[in-house]
Amino acid sequence: MAIKHKGITRIGFVRLGLKDPGLREAKKFYTETLGMLPTASAPGQLQLRCWHEPYQFSLVIDESDAHRLAEIGFQVRDDADLEGFAARLAQGDIQVARHEAGDIPGLGRSISFAIPGGQRVRLFAELAQLGYETGFETPDWVTPKRVRGTPAPQFLNHVGICVPHPKETIAFLKEYLGFYASEVIEDDQGDPVSALLFRMTKNVGGQELAVFPGAAGKLHHIAFTKDDASDILLDGQYLRNDGVTLDSFGPTRHPYGNTFSLHFFDPFGVRLELCSGGRMAEPHPEFKPVIWSESNLGTALSYHDELDTAPFLAASI
Amino acid sequence: MAIIRLSYASLNVTDLGKAEQHYAKVVGLRTTGKTEGRVYMQAPDSQDHHCLILNESASAGLCHFGLKVSAPEDLQEAADKAAAAGLKVEWLKAGDILGQGESVMITLPSTHRINLFHHSEDIGYETGMRDPDPILKNVDGVNPVSHLDHALMVCSNPAETIRFLRDELDFNLSECGTAPDGTLFLGFLSAGNTMHQLAVAPGPDGGLHHIAFYVYDRADLIRRVDLLKHRGVPTLEYGLTRHGVAGVTTTYFFDPSGNRNEFQCGAYETSGASGRVRPINWKPEDLGQATFYYEGSVPEQFYTVVS
Repeated sequence: MAIKHKGITRIGFVRLGLKDPGLREAKKFYTETLGMLPTASAPGQLQLRCWHEPYQFSLVIDESDAHRLAEIGFQVRDDADLEGFAARLAQGDIQVARHEAGDIPGLGRSISFAIPGGQRVRLFAELAQLGYETGFETPDWVTPKRVRGTPAPQFLNHVGICVPHPKETIAFLKEYLGFYASEVIEDDQGDPVSALLFRMTKNVGGQELAVFPGAAGKLHHIAFTKDDASDILLDGQYLRNDGVTLDSFGPTRHPYGNTFSLHFFDPFGVRLELCSGGRMAEPHPEFKPVIWSESNLGTALSYHDELDTAPFLAASI
Repeated sequence: MAIIRLSYASLNVTDLGKAEQHYAKVVGLRTTGKTEGRVYMQAPDSQDHHCLILNESASAGLCHFGLKVSAPEDLQEAADKAAAAGLKVEWLKAGDILGQGESVMITLPSTHRINLFHHSEDIGYETGMRDPDPILKNVDGVNPVSHLDHALMVCSNPAETIRFLRDELDFNLSECGTAPDGTLFLGFLSAGNTMHQLAVAPGPDGGLHHIAFYVYDRADLIRRVDLLKHRGVPTLEYGLTRHGVAGVTTTYFFDPSGNRNEFQCGAYETSGASGRVRPINWKPEDLGQATFYYEGSVPEQFYTVVS
């Protein structure tokens, strides 16, 4: 079959390690405050998904001795894709680890490797499906009652990472994993200091990975999808009512990607985002990214606020 | 590689001037080219030459849909698959359609034509590509639409066309309707991670039910319905509504020639791989809820009026 979507087809999950004995505080925050659904939790591990997702998890949290970003998982079309990636990475002298199915409960066989910048990426073809929370027959596509009154995001949208050498990381993600850039922030020399990278064709928005300058291996933020800005304003009320700390900008137009976004923190310092919208992006070799000047960073990050960008640019965990 | 999205709709209109005015002022598209009897238009958040071609014609309806592929060799492969399925295939040279490279036109079993192409002239986002201000200069009391999102076509045997798109062109079936005897009578198909780019429903062969433009915010959608009414644009009797299918907020209206348009808002992501996730199923008795979630019933014109 020749006309066939291949390679990475979607962002699958993000996996964190949190210093939270018994993961009680994490479970309380991510289910009761954020409104994700717990699925197949086991001792030392919490698996969660958004209510609109058919898969077993999009967020995995392990009990850990320190807060850390463990890995980011992307789903590929099939096992042939998985082997294709393994071979290409091996040719590039990238050390690839192979994992049997069930290495994370629910996940099929997979490969993982460190990208330049330090983060670990996992590729897999199969992830267990629990089915849609609202069912497959005549569903009410309505936020389930048990998570109403929380943001209850619909999907994992993207993950922001910090890397010491963005140019190198961005080039690797394009060359080895087939990512396209939808937006790039360039310094005076025209070198990228940040980029939004995508593989998916969503209604709007071209980012599954956002690359920011910073310390190796760090997480910048995890973003979840919401329908629109009106929802996000209401969600900000729910979060504040639960004592959640919002990031400096509050709800704002984020011209970098052209989303409407709200950034905030979980109890462990993990920066989270609710986002909606985004420019329409096409995974096509002739597609061109929007280019931002680093000198215009303040406007790129928040169209509404006139604030120092340093707090937003800091890594989270 | 693969088809990546519904790129444009080529529509027949009975008055080219009025049609251009409608798509410019009511929808918010920009005119990107004109040839004898044709106007080419594009939405603000698309980089290609056009998402809409208007053709001066004796009656309204669909001329064809344009689908963009990610590799040039996809064109020959799609042509081979269509020929093997016994479908009519016709090649168009670069420039036959303004701003567009070589393409292959396939006539689906439904008699609708789809035109697959790889290259489009690049005109960029309307905001510009460098340090873009998100607000357009000529906003007329309403935010711009983002892009052409999807289209619904009708035909006498939906299952046949749904199967070709799914099995031969790697579209994913996200939601569908099945009759008691198991026949597929309704299909929502996407070549990306969206819920649908092309939908197929029962009706006369070659019919166009609507083309849909994506809107960012529901608040903006409310304002748009206000403006449709203010401007006297013919609409569906329900005004602002919501689909049970996909759970998106929506409104329907008509261009001056009688082609149905939609503004749609709502997030819905799919796997990006055909067949990986079982499609949602709607039964004929649930079509009220499926079509108009608030009202729970379907106005007659929504079934009977196509162009």
